[in-house]
Amino acid sequence: MDGAAPDARLKGVIERLAELLPAQGPIGIFIHHNTLHAFESQDFEQAVVSAGEKLSCEPFLPEEEYRREFQSGRILEQDLRWALGDELGPDAARAVFDDLTRLELRIRIARYGIPKAAGASLAWLLQETPVLRRFREDIPNDARQALRNGSSARDLWRACLAAARKTPAAPFVPPAPPARHRDLLLAAAGTDTDAWVNPVLIRLLGAFLDQGLARWSLPEASRGLYACFLHLYANSWASLCGRWAARLPDLIREERRLGLSPSASLERSLEVLGVGGEEAAGFLEATALALRGWAGMIRQLEERPDRVPARSRPAAVMEYLAVRLLLERAALSYAASRLPGFGATLSELRAHLRGLLEPPPLASDEERAWQIFHAAQLCGLTAARIGGLSAAQAAALEAELAGFDETSRRRVLQSAYDRHLRGRLCDALSARVPAPTPSPAAYQAIFCLDEREESFRRHLEETAPDCETFGAAGFFGVAMYYQGATDAHPRPLCPIAVKPRHYVGEMKIDPSAALARWRRVRRRQSGRLGQLLHRFNGTFLGGYLITTVAGPLSILPLVLRVVFPGLARRWSLALPFSKTPATRLLLDRRPEAPPIGAHYGYTKEEMAAIVGNLLRGAAIAGRLAPVVVVAGHGSTSLNNPHESAHDCGACGGGRGGPNARAFAQMANDPAVRALLAQDGLRVPEQTRFIGALRNTCDNSVEFFDLDLLPREHEKRFGRIAADFARTRRKEAHERCRRFENFPLSGGHGAALAHVEERAHDLAQPRPEYGHASNAFCVVGRRSRTRGLFLDRRAFLTSYDPTQDEDGSILESTLAAVTPVVAGISLEYYFSRVDPSGYGCATKLPHNVASLLGVMNGTQSDLRTGLPWQMVEIHEPVRLFLVVECAPERFESVLERLPTVRRLLDGRWIFAACLDPNSRALRLRGTDGYRPWTAQAPLPSVVGDSASWYRGRRDHLPIAEIIPPPEAALP
Amino acid sequence: MIALILRGGVLLALAAPALLLAVLALPGFLGRPWSESRVGLLTQAAFLASFGAVAAAGLAYAAGARVPLVIHLGGWFSKDGGFSFDLLVDGWSLGFAALSVGICGVVSSFSFRYLHREPGFQRYFILLVCFVGGLLLVALAGSVEVLFAGWELLGLSSALLVAFFHERPAPVDNGFRVLAFYRIGDACMLSAAVLLHHWAGSDSLSLLFSGGAGHLSRLGADHVVTIAVLLIAAAAAKSALLPFSTWLPRAMEGPTPSSAVYYGALSIHAGCFLLLRASSLVQYSAATRILTAAAGLATAGYAALSGRAQTDVKSKLCFASLAQVGIIVVEISLGLNTLAFLHMSGNICLRLLQFLSAPNILHDLHQLENDLGASLAAAEEPPAAWGGALYLFALERGFLDGLMDRWLAEPLERLAAALESLDRRLCRIPAAFFGGGDGA
Repeated sequence: MDGAAPDARLKGVIERLAELLPAQGPIGIFIHHNTLHAFESQDFEQAVVSAGEKLSCEPFLPEEEYRREFQSGRILEQDLRWALGDELGPDAARAVFDDLTRLELRIRIARYGIPKAAGASLAWLLQETPVLRRFREDIPNDARQALRNGSSARDLWRACLAAARKTPAAPFVPPAPPARHRDLLLAAAGTDTDAWVNPVLIRLLGAFLDQGLARWSLPEASRGLYACFLHLYANSWASLCGRWAARLPDLIREERRLGLSPSASLERSLEVLGVGGEEAAGFLEATALALRGWAGMIRQLEERPDRVPARSRPAAVMEYLAVRLLLERAALSYAASRLPGFGATLSELRAHLRGLLEPPPLASDEERAWQIFHAAQLCGLTAARIGGLSAAQAAALEAELAGFDETSRRRVLQSAYDRHLRGRLCDALSARVPAPTPSPAAYQAIFCLDEREESFRRHLEETAPDCETFGAAGFFGVAMYYQGATDAHPRPLCPIAVKPRHYVGEMKIDPSAALARWRRVRRRQSGRLGQLLHRFNGTFLGGYLITTVAGPLSILPLVLRVVFPGLARRWSLALPFSKTPATRLLLDRRPEAPPIGAHYGYTKEEMAAIVGNLLRGAAIAGRLAPVVVVAGHGSTSLNNPHESAHDCGACGGGRGGPNARAFAQMANDPAVRALLAQDGLRVPEQTRFIGALRNTCDNSVEFFDLDLLPREHEKRFGRIAADFARTRRKEAHERCRRFENFPLSGGHGAALAHVEERAHDLAQPRPEYGHASNAFCVVGRRSRTRGLFLDRRAFLTSYDPTQDEDGSILESTLAAVTPVVAGISLEYYFSRVDPSGYGCATKLPHNVASLLGVMNGTQSDLRTGLPWQMVEIHEPVRLFLVVECAPERFESVLERLPTVRRLLDGRWIFAACLDPNSRALRLRGTDGYRPWTAQAPLPSVVGDSASWYRGRRDHLPIAEIIPPPEAALP
Repeated sequence: MIALILRGGVLLALAAPALLLAVLALPGFLGRPWSESRVGLLTQAAFLASFGAVAAAGLAYAAGARVPLVIHLGGWFSKDGGFSFDLLVDGWSLGFAALSVGICGVVSSFSFRYLHREPGFQRYFILLVCFVGGLLLVALAGSVEVLFAGWELLGLSSALLVAFFHERPAPVDNGFRVLAFYRIGDACMLSAAVLLHHWAGSDSLSLLFSGGAGHLSRLGADHVVTIAVLLIAAAAAKSALLPFSTWLPRAMEGPTPSSAVYYGALSIHAGCFLLLRASSLVQYSAATRILTAAAGLATAGYAALSGRAQTDVKSKLCFASLAQVGIIVVEISLGLNTLAFLHMSGNICLRLLQFLSAPNILHDLHQLENDLGASLAAAEEPPAAWGGALYLFALERGFLDGLMDRWLAEPLERLAAALESLDRRLCRIPAAFFGGGDGA
């Protein structure tokens, strides 16, 4: 080509195509990310369409799903009018013909739709169903009126047919033929070589990447996939893989004789397959995407070998492609040998197959008339009016209809769907008078900004009107490698973008050494027994002993765990050695080298910086109450490979308890307080911080280091613990309204028992609904949202614009928060709009492969994204970020945050600014800010949250919860 | 009194799933399916009733004289040696029936929560009930007709559950493969039934199942061996013994609980149970004994070997289960029937538990590592002999897929194609003869 070394050129091609592969790492640490991160530089609406074509995925929901939302009032016609008006701009009022404007035509088509029908299905509709005997039922009233005065449906159909015949059909632009031989072969001859190659490749990749499931390791794996493949499949037994593999060992032996490197082998395969230089990029891209889950995992481990500390492998996409093409060459030469009338080499195969493909036919007159027929019904155009159209007018109508194809309709509907929900939050925020802050607060609680904490904070505030809550990224500024006292390995607890430098361990402080020893020995014993079971389960003799001795006994745990999960949990908790020992964090800097990271523990200065940043950022500094609870969150569930996806996103898919505990310990340290005081941040001496971990699945709350709590705080803490206990019951009740198998009439106690059982039930595919309700992110003071029922839809980050003179706090807040929440929002969006393309479809047949991911059955691609059970109740909307600050401030901060800005400009997320001094809202658009004018009044209800949600299962509108008069008194 | 409980218990145990099937399926046909909670309630009630009935019958049997009892349900043309519907009640049949119903009850309780909101919820439970009915018929069969009916129900519900997610091609393809292998077994069983009728003039299984060698004296030695070999082949196809083992990992496409109950637990042991019942046939001659032992031993070795290289949890488990199935077959061939039955129940319960908690593997191994305070032991190096061929053999599951395609599927396809073209040519003869057109 241009003289670049072939090796470097191929590397460049592979770097580019690797961007397209799913960026999901090992499933044990699940980090939400934008599924289409590779397309972020494009506009969202373009990106979803172009990515959809490349990956064969859906860009939006099906049209019918949006139309259903019109009935429930989730989308209003007004929203559609806005969305279309925005898109068409000044063109909206232009007439298609006569007085029919483009806007009017498109609104009607988007709202009511044109049934999809072509070829045989259209013929069937016309002949066998009453579509021509009477008009559609679901058309607007004015159209029905107009049609009633005209002639019959059949006349209209004839007129439409005549109109279509006035002009020739638009020339058809055939899509580019597929790049891969396999796709052409499948289309032309019905032979699928992937069905031969993939199973072999999947087994090989599974063995290569395995993190500890197989008893035997793959020989030569340390030399890389390519060398390992050449070693293993040169064996003549490999030809037994199937008839297609008859020549495989020979092919590999020749490859070995030539002594090619992976890239040279790739070059050679491309040459043999007749793929020229220009074309190589597209061909390799399609080849890599053929098994994109596995290829993506190879890529992840190539880039981040530290994500699998146990068994890292020299993984490389280049080697994967080299192996894949060798297998394909073997399969294709066998398939080509069976192709009648083809005797040439593989490089000629594609040209031969392209010749066999038949071009798709032009649209028939009926198919064209069908579109006009429906447009006429929706707009109330009678047969006479259609008959009166000139050829030019008919052509204009047809062009307009063709320009508003299915994808465009879904795009507009999605836009309206998004817009309506944004409007609800805007209405609520602009109607709501900021709630008075309890001053001074009896106690304060800092939670993660996670939208699942919205309900917990709301219930806590309802339970204790004199408490104050805050939201911050749930790692609380403590980015660390953490290793608990019983953990075998350290793991990072911080956002994925941060690489921790500090290591923090945990130490047991059991009062009785004998008891501690006994527990440790019991644990070791049970661990060794478990390991023996794991290793010998499948063997001849070991399996024999296990099944004959332990087998009949396993009926007990079987029945107990499956039929009575609640009972099983209570009994296992009662076992004496299941108690967790008392521990302390080893937080202070120690001289020795840590097992991972740069430093063992933190210096006092580092601690002071962490504490100061959080207290200032969340605007708690200066108003500290006597007790501040710092609550991280996590989630536990059984039989759930996606368990980590329910954990804290800000802790990199980990549980934020240790972070909260570390923060509290730092903030309680007198030396840290002294340093803070020097810096002008005074922490009152009596103020105590208490770390806590809230489990979002079974609703338990665990407080840390209570034995260190000074005596004078005991009474105060007693009250706090009681408040939390009530809150977790009430919050469990609110969560349970989404679970169909919990009766709407159930009480608080039953609700708590229900969520506890869910978390410990092997048979429960939905332990919790995770982020399935996320839609908004509010960055501002809690007084702006306190008392609003936000239905667990809003990420709430505390930020006080009055304490942020230069915008630096806003900048650091948005820099930390936006990527995390946008990642969550977009991953849910994509997994919901195409559950089996972007998501991993239903959980029920999932099978854990290599401890890295899930497959369907025993030989499928690795399935990435979220399972249907996690997203089924999600409304796929783009995140709406509301920031309490002036637009100028927001823009100046965005200048310094190019990635956030790119998300906003590409409309991957939306934003608005809430005026700090009034209730005015300004929406950020592509052409500047527009003030919000209220659309609907904010519903309100007196009582508590339950007064609003009780008896209802679906997403609820935002409402104001007005406390009953007696409770409002402090 | 005891006889009454025994008879009543067995009949009730069979009637409960039959009734449940009718109750579940009918409203669905009429377009008004039951709500999920109703399905759960009905299923649990029927399984409980059925289990209670079998348990009562078992107690009655144990308390009574412990003589095998034949219950004649009716017949069709039975005067002329036609079809007869008999049940044979003894310790083995009651034991296997109780185990089957109990296990299915546990699995239905699991599935009720696991399949919540799944579009195929009703279909799943209907198939599960068919499965229980099939198992009970197999367990209690006293005549070949009953055995065959149960065998078919088992196979059909199994293949349909593999193809449960029929919107994707892979499950349908694999379900079809499972069905194809089952058909081979069915053909063998049907041949055995026909030959039994022909040679013995009777279809009573008590002849084959409950008696000692003396009962077989009515048949010639080569007849007995033929029937035994056919039954062993039928059992081998159902229990995924070699050379039929290839379908087993492919059957993991359905929902986890169905994979668990079919291929981890009950269905895969149905072949073993058949051999156990027909142990007098297996024991009849050295040839049948050696054949059975060889099939069992080869399967156990194959499964233990293949299991070592598998890297997904369900394949690992199904090979672990299969290895024990092979050993159970060996035990039967040695006449260790009680041991075989105990081993079978152990394998059923353990594998079911392991399958149902298979998605929990990450959680479990993490817990194990924490208990040990260290990483799990590294994988072993496989033997390097023959250029790693042993590892390749294990990884590729003994190349059975390729071999079966080559030696079984392709010849059959060719035969079918030849027959089809013959058929087409034959059809053309009258047209040419009468000078008619193709008739479009």
